[in-house]
Amino acid sequence: MLAVSLKGMAGRKLRTVLTALAVVLGVALIAGTYILTDTIDRQFDQIFAQVRQGVDVSVTPKKLFNSDNNANPPAFPASYVSQVQQVPGVQKAAGGIFDNGVILDNKGKKIGGSNGAPNFISSDAPAPFNPFHYVAGHGPTAPNQISIDKYTADKQHWHVGSTVRVGGRGPAEPYTVVGIAKFGKLNGLAGAAIAVMTLDQAQKVTNKVGKLDGIDIKAAPGIKPEALVGRVQQALPNTVTVRTGAEQAAKDASDTKSGLGFIKTLLLVFAGVALFVGAFMIFNSFSITIAQRTRELSMLRTVGASRRQVLGSVLGEAVVMGFSASVIGLGLGIVLAKGLKALFKAVGADLPGGSAVVESRTIIVSLIVGTLVTVIASLSPALRATRIQPIEGVREGAVIPRTRFSKIKTPFGAVTLGLGVALMCLGLLTNSTGSAVWLPLLFGTVLVFIGAAMFSSKLVRPIASLVGRPMESLRGVSGQLARENATRNTARTASTAAALMVGLALVSGVTIFAAGIKKSVNSAIDNSVKAGLVVENKDGWSSIPQSAGKSVAQVPGVGNSSEIRLSQAKVAGVSGTPDVSGVNPVTLPSVYQLDWKKGSNATLSRLDGNNAIVSESWSKSKHRKVGQQISITTQSGNHATYTIIGTYKNNVHFLGDIAVTNTTLARDFKVTDDQFVMYGLKPGANPDQVKAQASKVLAAQYPNAEADTKSGFKKTQTEWINQISAFFYVLLSLAVIVSLFGIVNTLVLAIYERTRELGLLRAVGMSKRQVKRIVRYESVITALIGAILGTVLGVFFAVIVSRPLAGEGFQLSFPVGTLVILLILAGLAGVLAAITPARRASKLNVLEALAYE
Amino acid sequence: MNAPLIVSAVDLHRRYGEGDAAVDALDGVTVGFPKGRFTAIMGPSGSGKSTLMHILAGLDRPTGGSVVVDDVELGGLDDKKLTQLRRDKFGFIFQFFNLLPVLTAEENITLPLKIAGKKPEKAWLDELIEAVGLSDRRSHRPSQLSGGQQQRVAVARALLTKPAVVFADEPTGNLDSKAGDEVLQMLRRAADEYGQTVIMVTHDPHAASIADHIVVLVDGQVVRETPAGEADEVVELMKAVA
Ligand SMILES: Nc1ncnc2c1ncn2[C@@H]1O[C@H](COP(=O)(O)OP(=O)(O)O)[C@@H](O)[C@H]1O
Ligand SMILES: [Mg+2]
Repeated sequence: MLAVSLKGMAGRKLRTVLTALAVVLGVALIAGTYILTDTIDRQFDQIFAQVRQGVDVSVTPKKLFNSDNNANPPAFPASYVSQVQQVPGVQKAAGGIFDNGVILDNKGKKIGGSNGAPNFISSDAPAPFNPFHYVAGHGPTAPNQISIDKYTADKQHWHVGSTVRVGGRGPAEPYTVVGIAKFGKLNGLAGAAIAVMTLDQAQKVTNKVGKLDGIDIKAAPGIKPEALVGRVQQALPNTVTVRTGAEQAAKDASDTKSGLGFIKTLLLVFAGVALFVGAFMIFNSFSITIAQRTRELSMLRTVGASRRQVLGSVLGEAVVMGFSASVIGLGLGIVLAKGLKALFKAVGADLPGGSAVVESRTIIVSLIVGTLVTVIASLSPALRATRIQPIEGVREGAVIPRTRFSKIKTPFGAVTLGLGVALMCLGLLTNSTGSAVWLPLLFGTVLVFIGAAMFSSKLVRPIASLVGRPMESLRGVSGQLARENATRNTARTASTAAALMVGLALVSGVTIFAAGIKKSVNSAIDNSVKAGLVVENKDGWSSIPQSAGKSVAQVPGVGNSSEIRLSQAKVAGVSGTPDVSGVNPVTLPSVYQLDWKKGSNATLSRLDGNNAIVSESWSKSKHRKVGQQISITTQSGNHATYTIIGTYKNNVHFLGDIAVTNTTLARDFKVTDDQFVMYGLKPGANPDQVKAQASKVLAAQYPNAEADTKSGFKKTQTEWINQISAFFYVLLSLAVIVSLFGIVNTLVLAIYERTRELGLLRAVGMSKRQVKRIVRYESVITALIGAILGTVLGVFFAVIVSRPLAGEGFQLSFPVGTLVILLILAGLAGVLAAITPARRASKLNVLEALAYE
Repeated sequence: MNAPLIVSAVDLHRRYGEGDAAVDALDGVTVGFPKGRFTAIMGPSGSGKSTLMHILAGLDRPTGGSVVVDDVELGGLDDKKLTQLRRDKFGFIFQFFNLLPVLTAEENITLPLKIAGKKPEKAWLDELIEAVGLSDRRSHRPSQLSGGQQQRVAVARALLTKPAVVFADEPTGNLDSKAGDEVLQMLRRAADEYGQTVIMVTHDPHAASIADHIVVLVDGQVVRETPAGEADEVVELMKAVA
């Protein structure tokens, strides 16, 4: 029985390939994601093992809690080194600095750009802790000397003797390169640029004089590192963590990897979308094939095949197709991993490479998921096939009896749709975070799609008339036939369109959501920011040294200024680690108007070391009201208690959920760098000219800081939205491509079914061009049905998902122009999808077509 | 036989396949069809009747010989011109599957005009639909019509454009005798009342007897051209050639 199916598959090459393609692409994305992230992970494992080589025990500042933005915990006193040296069993101990810095390329720009691979400043370490292996020159011995990693030196064409400018917390200063270093066998650390300085100089430029980021310890001969860990910990306060060198390397690697975990999840979600869309296509393709094979299957039943055998043969075909497609997808995944890396690089994230790592987990997951999706999607057509009766199907024009299910499909679809919406709401309205939000949201979305797909066959006719009528009046009979053909089997058209619907819904949802964020950011800035000039880090999230902001204050035309700083805290009895903003209560009102909920600018003037203001949404969700106290723990290990004296609407998270004075932030959080600095302009000053001046000042000394006018600030605050949307579009386009193959597939199958009709049309005088038109218009109609339904769903998703954000200043905005362009693109995609099928249709030999059965 | 010829073929050959397996479906057919006449092409199954009709109608190309329709040599036309010719000068009635299932009876009738981007003449359309007895079936789909009604829709469609030639390939082959007679009568009237040239392929002597003229094919060659007589005469004729 299976042999019959497989022979059939071979005979229907084009559609088999088209159907399988959906699975191939989805699986390729899964495999590509795993391969990419595994490759990166392995790279990091190697790097950190290399860095901690020769270290038996490592002391680092304790991270008191994990916060979203991975800020480094504060350095500890350098005096700990001598305390460690007293510990019996310690042969050698040396402190070091490893911190973010700015290394300027030959053009005076930060290496890698503002979002690229990080730049680090490291202190030189004595043997045996030194991970560097000099291929030219030696380590730095004077304050004005540095050595550079070989990867960066090669890229920048630097050699011993070159002058390179490096900045830490303060302005960039020139250094002479005295050495080019490798890390064991590695040229560099995953693309990061590293400048190695003497310990003293490193402490000085990172603003850590008398402090250290870590201590490396060598155990005396015969002492096990594990044994030494406890003793060292005893000798030091519990604000530090003591680990063996190997443990520390593993910890460093896993910290870095967990930052990438998000990327993995994101990519797998997109793979899921592609497979989900692919499932529609498989379902469709199998349904049509079964319908066309009615006679053949009926004949098989007549000669004695059982229902079970029919089921087995169809499912067997699905297994073979799913498995082969998965194998191909797996292979393609290796290529795709490279493409994904390029994609990340294009949006500014340069991930480390290395030879592709294919774990057995990658192979197993890819093959199982690909095969399973195919089998599940073909289940319903396979069950339908079992309903074909012997003899009956052999008669001319026989159709498969309708299943009981198909009669209740529409109400069932509506119920599924409702259930999906309810689930989504459940996820959105919950107070908790994490899987309690995204799980119901995910399943809700899937149900909405499935429900909409089932329900949509009822909408095929009206939408087809809506988009088909104009074609008909323009193109006469071709248009009419296209519309009639599209509505001939509404279930089939609906499920073909549904695949595109999914992609379009996500694309338009993202588009609307992004437009909403932009509008919200813009209006929040318009309403609150009174400053004419803003200085911040070019990457948009790192801090800048105070001196950078101060240097701009001297620029002619610049008036009063106010600094806004940022840290995180753990609040007793409350989940999460809210951002804590530091503000200058005196100067803030002149540059920034808080959107008060409870309180006024007078409240601000009461802000001192004992109190705080909090965002209204945080206050509500965490049940911490005005007048109540919050006890916090900071990243530096300090504890403090503040009384809440006011609440503000935290529009687009311009501030953190908690705000204190900058003095308090320095006292309790040990944060003195600026997140951004806002400046008023003197009357009559031209913002663009002031900005140009300020930029000049910054460029000379603080290359990673940038000055912007208010309108420029708006732009930079919304730029990331474009980048992320672009990234989403690229990945979603995969799902859209899959759905286009779906249209191609359905058209090819439909043409095959309508061979005789096409022959007749050609016989009575229809030109090839007109035949092509019929196919093309049908394709466009199908695509537009999918696009229209998708856009409606996209609007719905954007509206519902953004509801909970309304309290945080989210404003919906419908980019009508963009949505119309999306519809037009969908129509064009329909034209594209029709090229091959239309050509096939027009090439049919008239006589053979007429004689065709 | 003094009416001018509207379709004429000279020394037509049509070979299928190659080498030993080659079949000469037409083996030197020279035949002419006078304007305004009703001609039946007869012959046993496999004698090449359909092949001849297809070639005359520009649906297939001969491997040798030539066809001239209304002073135009078909051999010199490309696919586009042939398509146009079929649309403008020919009407077709096939044995099965004449109608598009998605179109109504009336839409099927006007299909060739619509393909040409023209509007049907209302009076002529009404007259035709009346003549084929489908006035109350205009907006029915083919699946709602009987086989005879479907075939009559096809006849109306073939006549609507007032083509130079109506080709019919076994138009009654699939019908019972009553429905078949109705279709034949309609073709007869097309020749008599509208001056239409009709070329009909059939192997049914009764059907052939309604024509003016009979061309008999055997093994791809014309063996007899004769005025049609009564049905039993045609039966005798067929016996004679067999
Ligand atoms: N497409 C084809 N390929 C091969 N042989 C064909 C083809 N069409 C027709 N023939 C052969 O040509 C001969 C004439 O066929 P046809 O014109 O259909 O006969 P008729 O209509 O008189 O029954 C037959 O022997 C038939 O088998
Ligand atoms: Mg025949």
